[in-house]
Amino acid sequence: MADLTTTIGPLQLKNPVLVASGTFGYGQEVVGLMDLNRLGAVVTKSVSLEPRPGNPPPRICELPGGMLNSIGLANVGVEAFVEQKLPFLAALDTKLIVNIAGRTPDDYVAVIHHLEDQPNIDGYELNFSCPNVKKGGLEFSQDPTTTAGVVNVIRKQTQRPLIAKLTPNVTRIREIAQAAADGGVDAVSLINTLVGFAVDVETRRPRIHAGAAGYSGPAIKPVALAKVLEVAEHVDIPIIGIGGICNVTDALEFLITGACAIQVGTANFIDPGSAPRIVDELEQYMNAHKLAALPELIGSLKKWS
Amino acid sequence: MSALPSRAVCDCPVDAITEVADGTHLLRFRSPVISNQSLPGQFVNIKVSGGQHPLLRRPFSVCRVNAREGWFEVLWKVVGQGTAIMAQARPGDTFSVIGPLGRGYTVPESTRTALLVGGGLGVAPLPFLAENLAAAGTSVEVYVGARSKGDLSMLEAFGSLGLEPVIATEDGSVGACGFVTAPLTTRLKELQGAPDAHLFSCGPTGFLKAMTALSKQYEIPGQIAIETVMACGFGICVGCAVPAKRQVGTGRRYKLACIDGPVFDSDEVELDG
Ligand SMILES: Cc1cc2nc3c(=O)[nH]c(=O)nc-3n(C[C@H](O)[C@H](O)[C@H](O)COP(=O)(O)OP(=O)(O)OC[C@H]3O[C@@H](n4cnc5c(N)ncnc54)[C@H](O)[C@@H]3O)c2cc1C
Ligand SMILES: Cc1cc2nc3c(=O)[nH]c(=O)nc-3n(C[C@H](O)[C@H](O)[C@H](O)COP(=O)(O)O)c2cc1C
Ligand code: FES
Repeated sequence: MADLTTTIGPLQLKNPVLVASGTFGYGQEVVGLMDLNRLGAVVTKSVSLEPRPGNPPPRICELPGGMLNSIGLANVGVEAFVEQKLPFLAALDTKLIVNIAGRTPDDYVAVIHHLEDQPNIDGYELNFSCPNVKKGGLEFSQDPTTTAGVVNVIRKQTQRPLIAKLTPNVTRIREIAQAAADGGVDAVSLINTLVGFAVDVETRRPRIHAGAAGYSGPAIKPVALAKVLEVAEHVDIPIIGIGGICNVTDALEFLITGACAIQVGTANFIDPGSAPRIVDELEQYMNAHKLAALPELIGSLKKWS
Repeated sequence: MSALPSRAVCDCPVDAITEVADGTHLLRFRSPVISNQSLPGQFVNIKVSGGQHPLLRRPFSVCRVNAREGWFEVLWKVVGQGTAIMAQARPGDTFSVIGPLGRGYTVPESTRTALLVGGGLGVAPLPFLAENLAAAGTSVEVYVGARSKGDLSMLEAFGSLGLEPVIATEDGSVGACGFVTAPLTTRLKELQGAPDAHLFSCGPTGFLKAMTALSKQYEIPGQIAIETVMACGFGICVGCAVPAKRQVGTGRRYKLACIDGPVFDSDEVELDG
């Protein structure tokens, strides 16, 4: 029997298959549609300090191979999260990573303050695709100095594992990942959505109310893999791979390229059973390929001679 | 509103498929689970292709069910890629279906007269509702509007319940000429303010706006079944937001069509377009 356990810095998971923030609600919504305890970890929807109602509709549209979304980080806010959502998540037999969104570095710190006393949280994933209000809306992880700055502030607040989730909308993601590593995060998640845009030619309006939006789904997988490759080759930090993962082949591509875990996102909408099925099929693959443990697979990409 | 019932991801074999009107298809799926759990006004979310094109599931109202025989039906019009693929289905084919989903129609206990109003394909959830209401001994009146005679469907489903729908077509090819709101308004004038009458409607946004206005004008409470784009259908994408009419505190609030709806009280949500 292959051993599926994986380590992401200080974090030990029973398997490397997670669900991506914002594509799994607060977990409760999927009860009856899949077995949450089969997951390596649940990553929550982004939690912000104040509740946010989200953007006016339309918030989503389907595209070939993917979809655009601009939900506007609709969420209940950290206080209601602790009261109403955390008890269910904390009782699950899987690890819990809370994803945090902020407009300023202080926002991230304040959310962490609300969460530090709560048991059963195994780590924080920092959504650095959020627009930084102090930098004219530039995403926190679009510039290495800003990334290092915000990580420095947050690192002082907690001993818990910190994961920086990076935007792919940059020229050199390795510089951002390096800045996050230098600031003291334990891992990076790659990637958040690609910026995209679509027009309804009948109404001549943007197909998403907010305009430019986030592109996700199978179409973004090659871009995500290239970002994982770049960081794996240049930065010494554990990587969680995200982007278009629908099946075990997709997951394997990320693991072989160097990710020590993966997250399933858009695929949850179509098939909420995708992640547990990937766990099963990963085990079958490892058995078939005589791989005893995951480290034999992670980063095992071979070079052309 | 009714509590969220249990739902499941089911592989459902196709029992039968019929073209019941021009470009309009009725498909019977075998599924003991979904047929047993469904309530009128709820929907199912169907994976129409085995591959990734189209990527997302397509939502359809539960049109009719037979829990004893373990089947349910969906009714749809071909409007794009997904609905065209479904029209190619043959008996024995299997589709992955998630359902039943959402909150359906809630019949207030006081209801003695139920007015069911369907605009175009909005007739889809009404046969199931009519059947349940008739079984409960409620007096049911059905109003159906369509563009033309060839667009009308499910009339015999109402007929088999002993109901004779009032019909209006925009081209006058059958029934009254014009919108179905005209014969309905005549009836609402008689019923004005009746505490035991209730309106249940489904159809395009403009039609639902008219229904909301009529409901208010004639003081007959109503429920509307709305449609939005949906990525998941069960509350995890937060993409199906509709602005709530009654704002709590400051700023906008939204309801999710897939879990708070698709059926809402007619004064609950803002209808756009
Ligand atoms: C809760 C719910 C219940 C529904 N019940 C039924 C039903 O019983 N019968 C039925 O025929 N349809 C129903 N619909 C609409 C149905 O889901 C769409 O017609 C279908 O998704 C279109 O898929 P497509 O791939 O063929 O079209 P696409 O290629 O996706 O789109 C083709 C055209 O249809 C329009 N369209 C797409 N989705 C919708 C939508 N949700 N509402 C209105 N227009 C849309 C697009 O704007 C486009 O112009 C329901 C929708 C919802 C949300
Ligand atoms: C509807 C939707 C909502 C999302 N919300 C969040 C969010 O709140 N926080 C976050 O960090 N990422 C969010 N994401 C990004 C995903 O977590 C993931 O990084 C991205 O979708 C790429 O993976 P995928 O192609 O598998 O979906 C969201 C994605 C989608 C499609
Ligand atoms: S369709 Fe995904 S939350 Fe409603």
